[in-house]
Amino acid sequence: MAILEVDDLRTYFKTRRGDVRAVDGVSFSLERGRTLGIVGESGCGKSVTALSMMGLLASTARIVTGSIRFDGRELTTLSEHELEDVRGRQIAMIFQDPMTSLNPTLTIGTQITETMRRHLDLSGDAARKRAIELLEEVHITNARQRLDDYPHRYSGGMRQRVMIAIALSCNPKLLIADEPTTALDVTVQAGILDLLEELREEHEMSMIIITHDMGVVAEAADDIAVMYAGQIVEQASAEELFDHPEHPYTEALLGALPQLEGEGVRASRLTAIPGRPPDLVDLPDACRFAPRCPYANPNDECAKHVPELREIRQGHLVRSAHPTSERAGALAGAKP
Amino acid sequence: MLKFVVRRVLWTIPIILLVIFMTFLMMRAIKGSPFRKSERAVPPAVLENLNRKFGLDKPWYRQYFQYVENVATLDLGPSLVLRNQDVNSIVKEHFPISAELGGLAMLLAIVVGVPLGILAALRANKVTDYLLMLFANLGFAVPSFLVATLFIYFFAAKLGWFPTNGWGSASSKVLPVVALSLGPLTYFARIVRGQMLETLQQDYVRTAKAKGLRWRRIVTVHVLRNSLIPAVTAAGPLLGFLVTGSFIIENIFAIPGIGRYYVTSVSGRDYSTVMGITVLLAILIIVANLVVDILYGYLDPRTREQRT
Amino acid sequence: MVLNPQEESLRETVVSRESEELRFEAGAALRQSSLWRDALRRFTHNRGALIAMVAFLIMLLYVVVTPWIVPYDPNNVDFSASYLTPTWSHPFGTDQFGRDLFLRTALGGRISIGIGFAATVAIMVIGILYGAISGFVGGWLDNGMMRILDALYGLPYLPFAIITLAIFGTVNFWTMVVALTVASWFTTARVMRGQIITLKENDYVRSARAIGARWNRILFRHLLPNTLGLVIVFVFLELPGVVLGEAFLSFLGLGINPPNASWGSLAQDGYTQYLSHPHIIVIPSVAIAWLILSAFFIADGLRDALDPRTEGAA
Repeated sequence: MAILEVDDLRTYFKTRRGDVRAVDGVSFSLERGRTLGIVGESGCGKSVTALSMMGLLASTARIVTGSIRFDGRELTTLSEHELEDVRGRQIAMIFQDPMTSLNPTLTIGTQITETMRRHLDLSGDAARKRAIELLEEVHITNARQRLDDYPHRYSGGMRQRVMIAIALSCNPKLLIADEPTTALDVTVQAGILDLLEELREEHEMSMIIITHDMGVVAEAADDIAVMYAGQIVEQASAEELFDHPEHPYTEALLGALPQLEGEGVRASRLTAIPGRPPDLVDLPDACRFAPRCPYANPNDECAKHVPELREIRQGHLVRSAHPTSERAGALAGAKP
Repeated sequence: MLKFVVRRVLWTIPIILLVIFMTFLMMRAIKGSPFRKSERAVPPAVLENLNRKFGLDKPWYRQYFQYVENVATLDLGPSLVLRNQDVNSIVKEHFPISAELGGLAMLLAIVVGVPLGILAALRANKVTDYLLMLFANLGFAVPSFLVATLFIYFFAAKLGWFPTNGWGSASSKVLPVVALSLGPLTYFARIVRGQMLETLQQDYVRTAKAKGLRWRRIVTVHVLRNSLIPAVTAAGPLLGFLVTGSFIIENIFAIPGIGRYYVTSVSGRDYSTVMGITVLLAILIIVANLVVDILYGYLDPRTREQRT
Repeated sequence: MVLNPQEESLRETVVSRESEELRFEAGAALRQSSLWRDALRRFTHNRGALIAMVAFLIMLLYVVVTPWIVPYDPNNVDFSASYLTPTWSHPFGTDQFGRDLFLRTALGGRISIGIGFAATVAIMVIGILYGAISGFVGGWLDNGMMRILDALYGLPYLPFAIITLAIFGTVNFWTMVVALTVASWFTTARVMRGQIITLKENDYVRSARAIGARWNRILFRHLLPNTLGLVIVFVFLELPGVVLGEAFLSFLGLGINPPNASWGSLAQDGYTQYLSHPHIIVIPSVAIAWLILSAFFIADGLRDALDPRTEGAA
């Protein structure tokens, strides 16, 4: 059974100009033990999806409709009190910026043990012991001494490891990582991703990784969902997505990756996708990628209605009127 | 930490010297002003005393050092007007009253102002917040002489609950303390509210929520500590508020504190008293700021742990 | 990944699109606007700030226009009309000498607000100069200037102003302006210095230096204009402080002498008879509070308008 099932989630933000439709009809499911990567550019709604799941939305935002079923339990109807029991214990989340995510006036030890004492009812000593074990699990040396240090003594990479330790402390079933490596040096990134994978296996967790970096999902995700302007535009397993991208946006994202090898690479330029994402308040009843899509025409269906998310192959969903495999037929046979 | 304290304390000494110097200059400016010449003559006994104490016949820099020495030995010189008194005894008589008034007012301001600020922040943008902030804004905008006057008018004259002036019995202290505390109270409330709102936006509060901690714990352990500590530094300028406010309050309530005495000294051209009290107040303010700085440095673990 | 013909042609298509306009109208991205226009828009949408601005202008209007249109002589003593409470012919009533308070308060306002503006301008000029020099030059000069400032902070506000007035000997409009300026400029100087220092570290200053711009160009063209926003906010923060300071001084009898009245001296007049005729002290006090509140909320609104970070979603 899927550990997480999201169905037609819509989260809107109230603003003076109207509702910002940050998440507009997102549905996906996550099987136990798998890692889902949600990928997309800034503002596409991926973080808001995660925050909606945790009930951590700002006061100006609300879940308008949709269901989020975690382990068989509907989350959208829970009270704040009940959600507090779920957070940290069943679902844990780590955030983008490790430098600001820890309280500078409390010791690392306090910040790790407080979660365990809250959810697991451990005594102070038992919690400390466990905290040391956790720090060792995330490969922080000298754990026992470092427990009483303040965050400013830790580097960025180390702080992110501490965040991971905190997230794991109560053995959650699901870990959501929102841009876990974005604020870190490239050299540190790989280490964090490896750590996440190692821990996921060991604790038998499911994981959602949110990122704008295609390289990160290529490495870490089993399945990938590509989001654009509040909607999922393509969803498939990682290999399938990278080998056979269907949506023009996905293709463009992949085409925008800098490459080190291959013919003609030196001479070519990095491709950018022209234009900008649409204004999420004033959305047309049409494909949201159309203004930037090289294949769209004003006469197509996609200019008049939002395309449905359909299964183009087994396990591969796409929301486009011009998926790769249906385009003009001529290129269909030329894929590697 | 120790190095931090030592550095701060050491810096205070030249600052105090500088303040005395400035006061000294200003007083000389008055002494030298043409206006002075039209006053009644100073009695010779006092004049001789003055010359001795201040070294008035010596060059100005000597005078300055003389004065610093005087201050250091807590001798503020003779009064120009009251023949038998010197500034020290004046201060001894009146300062404790002002100190008590100021101290009680400050206490009241903290005890009431801080919780108000916290409450307003937790109910931000709702009715409670608007009402509390309305109160805070009125408290700071309406001049204290009106507030004090209205207090006397309603609570003393019309209702008769308290005496209309004086300082002695417990009930005579209520109105002036409350009137004086309003300014600092509203100041605290606004600062605390502002700090709390800012802290509530921080990433680590989001992390704490994501950990599933109970909201009450998040507020008391994560938010309050980090908001109240910066609010401590706000206490610095407050001493200045209190001094300014006390001048007015003591005047209206006829309280024999040094604020009132200062005003009468100025009108009475008793310049050595004026200078003495000014220097005293200045030193107090500087020392108070020093204490606040050190307190803040202690509370912030980043400063506490600094080796440099 | 290896480039294949499909990807290559896609890339060409995408690249060639760069120069084309966006294809569909709806869903187009938001237009850019300048910093000032944005700030103005935010300010005018802030209801509280607008109300405050209107209130402020009403006050200004009142003090400027009233003496021109009201037929009374402010100094005319008429005991038969003394102590009147507010009526149609005397909207604010009269004082013990039968002088119309509506007019006197307006005239008092001219003086109080006049002192306020003059002192505020002076504070801004001195504060900016001091702060800019200190912040821009840095090093030991900055250190020294800041230490002097620390010492000045130690001098309590009212006593400082009082002593300054005593140095001048007389109290009139301009000596009051100078006294209040001298006692109040420190905060502005410190804040300006802080701002200059922050701005100095900005990349655009470094790039200006890198292309060889000289210090005066950097200071006047890059740094100072960017402090403009802060200056405007501070004007509305310092003004109430000065007006209140003048009121306190006058109330204590150390301020403007009769017959020229300021709000503070009007309050002092009224104080002696507050038990029997409270309106005489209430009215100028309310005027002061009106000014302080409106200026303060304008400053708040300006601060929010100029700092995009604090803008919430409605």
